[in-house]
Amino acid sequence: MTTAAQDFLRSAAEKSANLTHRHILRKGIDTYNTAVNRGLSRFMNWEAARQKCHEIKFEAINHLDRYLLEFEQHVNERGGHIFWAQNAEDARKYITDLAKRHNVRTIVKSKSMVTEEIHLAAALEAQEIKVFETDLGEFIVQLRGEPPYHIVTPAMHLTRDDIAALFKEKLGDVDTNDPQELVAAARRALRKAFFSAEMGITGANFLIADSGMIAITTNEGNADLGVSLPKIHVAVVGIEKVVPRLQDLALFWPVLATSGTGQPITCYNTLIGGPRGPKEFAGPEEFHVVLLDNGRTELLADPEQRDALHCIRCGACLNACPVYRTVGGHTYGTTYSGPIGSVLTPHLRGIHEFNHLSYASSLCGACTDVCPVKIDLHHHLLHNRRNAVNAHERPGSEGSEFKMFRWVMQSPARLATFGAIGRLAMRMIYGLGLAGTALDPTRKWTKMHAPPRIPKKSFRAQWKSSLAEKK
Amino acid sequence: MPKVSLFIPCFVDQLTPEVGLDMVKVLRRIGYDVDFPENQTCCGQPAFNSGYWNDARVLAERFVDVFRASENIVCPSGSCTTMVRNFYPELLVGNPKFDEATKLGQRVFEFSEFLIKVAKVTDVGATFPHRVAYHDACHALRELHLKNEPRELLKHVRNLELVDLPYSEDCCGFGGTFAINFNMISGAMGDTKAGNAEKTGAEFLTSTDPSCLMHIDGILRQRKSSVRTIHLAQILASSGDEPR
Amino acid sequence: MAQTENPGREAILGRIREALTKPAAHHVAKTTDDIFFPMGDPIEEFQKQCAINNTEFLSTTSVDASAAAIAEIISGLPAGPIFLQDAPILRRLSPTLLNGHKVQWSTEGIPAEESQATITLAETLVAATGSVFVSSACGGRGAAVVAPIHIVLAFTDQLVPDLETAFARLREQGTPEQNSMIVLITGSSRTADIEKILVMGAHGPRRFVVALSPRSE
Repeated sequence: MTTAAQDFLRSAAEKSANLTHRHILRKGIDTYNTAVNRGLSRFMNWEAARQKCHEIKFEAINHLDRYLLEFEQHVNERGGHIFWAQNAEDARKYITDLAKRHNVRTIVKSKSMVTEEIHLAAALEAQEIKVFETDLGEFIVQLRGEPPYHIVTPAMHLTRDDIAALFKEKLGDVDTNDPQELVAAARRALRKAFFSAEMGITGANFLIADSGMIAITTNEGNADLGVSLPKIHVAVVGIEKVVPRLQDLALFWPVLATSGTGQPITCYNTLIGGPRGPKEFAGPEEFHVVLLDNGRTELLADPEQRDALHCIRCGACLNACPVYRTVGGHTYGTTYSGPIGSVLTPHLRGIHEFNHLSYASSLCGACTDVCPVKIDLHHHLLHNRRNAVNAHERPGSEGSEFKMFRWVMQSPARLATFGAIGRLAMRMIYGLGLAGTALDPTRKWTKMHAPPRIPKKSFRAQWKSSLAEKK
Repeated sequence: MPKVSLFIPCFVDQLTPEVGLDMVKVLRRIGYDVDFPENQTCCGQPAFNSGYWNDARVLAERFVDVFRASENIVCPSGSCTTMVRNFYPELLVGNPKFDEATKLGQRVFEFSEFLIKVAKVTDVGATFPHRVAYHDACHALRELHLKNEPRELLKHVRNLELVDLPYSEDCCGFGGTFAINFNMISGAMGDTKAGNAEKTGAEFLTSTDPSCLMHIDGILRQRKSSVRTIHLAQILASSGDEPR
Repeated sequence: MAQTENPGREAILGRIREALTKPAAHHVAKTTDDIFFPMGDPIEEFQKQCAINNTEFLSTTSVDASAAAIAEIISGLPAGPIFLQDAPILRRLSPTLLNGHKVQWSTEGIPAEESQATITLAETLVAATGSVFVSSACGGRGAAVVAPIHIVLAFTDQLVPDLETAFARLREQGTPEQNSMIVLITGSSRTADIEKILVMGAHGPRRFVVALSPRSE
C-alpha cells in the first residue's frame, strides 16, 4: 500500500469516529442543501441547463487547441502576456521570476485551487515575498497553516469559536465570536495588504476565447481589489477553463452560483481583458495569464474520462458525497477532494499513488446526480478501478481473490459447496463467540457489525427440496 | 399463466434465502408461474465493481447463457438488476454476446419494478401491521430510477404505517468491498443511517436491496436498536400471521 | 510588446492535438429547451431581485430626483472624500451629490483608501438577477469595491430582461473591446465562510445603491 493510501486510511478512521466533526459537516451541508434547493427552483428547467452546460464545455474541451489559441491571440492584442506552463515548476518559476524582476515584496491573492495545486504561496514565501490570502476562508486556513478544507468553502470545518480564538491570537484586535465582527477584523487586517501589494494573483473561473477575457467570480470583492490596486496582475488558470463565447457566461454564471452556494448569482462576476487600458486611470500596468497543463493533457487523452475536464469547480459533488460528509476534505490529502478529486487525481498525479481514492467510495452516484455539467463522476470511479487493475496497481492478493471468486462462480456446484462450507464455518466461529477475533476471517465486517444470522440452507437447496415438490 | 424466471443474487442464495422465498410467494399469489434456472450463480458485480472486468466478463457471458430461454426475469435486488441492465452493455462492448446481453437487460426487473410496471399490480394482498420506514437503495434510486414504485406497494399493504425516513436517499455505506476495505467509513455511514431510522420510531426499516439491509441490520443490532430490518419482498409476502 | 518566451507552448499544443485525435463519445443528449422562466415586468423583477440580494433600490421620476436621493445618502456619511466617475452628467450634478464632501474624480486615479463612497454610472442593468454591469469606463478599476458604499446612477433605458440580452447589448456597445474590465455587480459584498452564516460587507462595499430614473434631463 502506498503512503498516500495508508495516510488516507488512518485519517479516514480518525475522522469517521469523530462525531463532532461529522456533526459540523452535516450542519454545513444541510445549510447548503436548503439554499441550493431554493436556487434550483429559480430554473424553469434545471436539467436543460445541465445539458446545455455540458454541451458548451464538450465543444470547448474537444476543440481545446483552437479555443486556447483564439484566447491567446486576443490577450496578446490587448497587451497581456500568456505563459504556457507545462507543469507546476514551470508555473512557479515564471511567477517568482516575474515577482523578483519587479522587486515585489507583497502579494495579495484571491482564492484559486490551481495555485494550491502548484504550491505557489510556499515558493513565493521562500523568496521572502509575503503572500496574503484575501478570501476569508483561505485567510483563515492560511493563519492556521492548513490547506483548504473544501474547494468552495475552505474553512467549513471550523466553528466561529475556532475562528475567534485564531483571530485573537494572530490578529490581536479581536475579542468576540460574532461573525460580523470577525469579518470586519479580517477586512481591517487585509486592507493594508491590498493597498501596499505590488502584485495581485488570482485564478479564473473561465477563460473566454472570443474576447480574450478571464472571468473571476467572488462574493467578497477581494479579487476586484486584487486586480485594481497592485501594479501587476497574474492569473493562473488550468487550460480546461476555456469557454468559446462571452455570452456562454449568461448560463454559466447562474449555474456556478446555484451549484456552488445556492445563490441566483454570485456578488461579483468580473471580466478582465488586459492591463489597464490606454484611456484608463486605474489598474495594473501588466497582465499575465499562466495557462497550466500539469497533467490535464493526460486526462484529455483519455476519451472515456475527458468530460472530467468540464468541471467548473462548483463543489456540489463534495457536498453530495456521503464519504466526504463522513471524513471531510483534509483526509483526501490532495488539492482536489471529494468525487471530482478522486476522479482527477490519478490522471494528474499518477494511478500508482492515488487509485485508492477511487476505491474509497460506495459508488452511490449522488455526485453524478448533482454535477451541473453532467460529468459521469461515479462511473469514472469505476473506470479508474478498472484502469488500476489493468495497470497491475492493485495488491496481488486482491487479484487472486477475484480469480478464486470467478472460479467458484463459474459452477453452481462449486458455489453450493463452497457456500455450504463457508456458512458452516461462520456458524461455528460466531457460535463459539469468536466473532471479531484473529480466528474470524470476517473480522473486518464484524468490527462494525453484529455477526449476521447464517442460514442452514441456501435458497437453491430449499427450492430443490420444498418448492419443487409443490410444482 | 404468465411466466417469470427468478434471478436470485448469489448472496441472497447463500445468506438471506428468505428474501428469495418470499418473493416467490408473492409472485405465485398474484398468479405467476415461477421458474428458477438452477445453473445461475452470480452476475459478476463484485468483480466488476472492484475493476476486475475480465473476471466479471466471464460471469456476464455465463449469465447470458443461463437466462437465454427466459422471458421476463425478476430479481430482489436493485444493484444486481443494475449490473445486468446498465453495465453489461459496457462490459461486453465488442463481445459476441453484446446484442443478446443488451436485449436481456431490458427483460430483467427489480422486484418492485416488476410488480408495478410488468405485472401492473399495486396491491399484492399483503398485511403487515407495523410502522415501517423505507430506505432508498442507491442503485435502485439512481441507476434504475425507482422512487415511487416500492412506496406505492407499501401503501397498499394492510395496516402498514409508512413513515418518512430523514435523508432516505443518503447512501447506507455498504458499497460492496467498500464495506471491507474502508470499513470505518462504511460503518460511520451505516451508523448515520441507523440513527436516522431510530429517530422515526419505526419498528422496521425496509428497502429493495438485501445488501443494504444486511449492512444496516448488523449496525442496528450492534447498537442494540429496537429497529429491525426486513426486505420489501418479506413485507409483501406477509399475511399478518407471521411472528415478527 | 515583446512576445513572452514560451518554451512549453508547442509541447502543450502538441499534446492537446495528439489527445484530440481520439474522439470522445457524446453521452449527454443535446437540448433546445428553455432554461429560465419567462420575464414579467422588468422593473418589477429588478426591484424584487434587489430586495433579495441586498441592493438598495431607489426608483425616482427624474435624474435630478435621483441626484437628490443620492445626496441624502451622502449627507449621512462620515467626513471623507467622495469618488466620482468623471462623466459630464456627474460633473453637472456634483454640487448636489457631494453635499459638502470633498471630491476625487476618477481621472485622478484609483479611489483613495479613506473614500466614504463612490458614485458611478453603469453600462446596463439586468432585471432577472437585479444586477448592474459596470466597466472600467464607469470610474475605472476599484470604483466598485474600494469604498464602503457604491452608488450607481442608472437610467431605465439601460434595463434589460436577462443576462443573455445584457451580453448582446454590451457587445453592440463595444464594451468588451473598449474596456480592460467589466464587472457584474449583484448586491453588496458578502461572505458565508464562517459557519455558512451570511455576513454583509467583506472586502467590498457593505452597501450597494442603485438610483434608477428615466433618462430625460
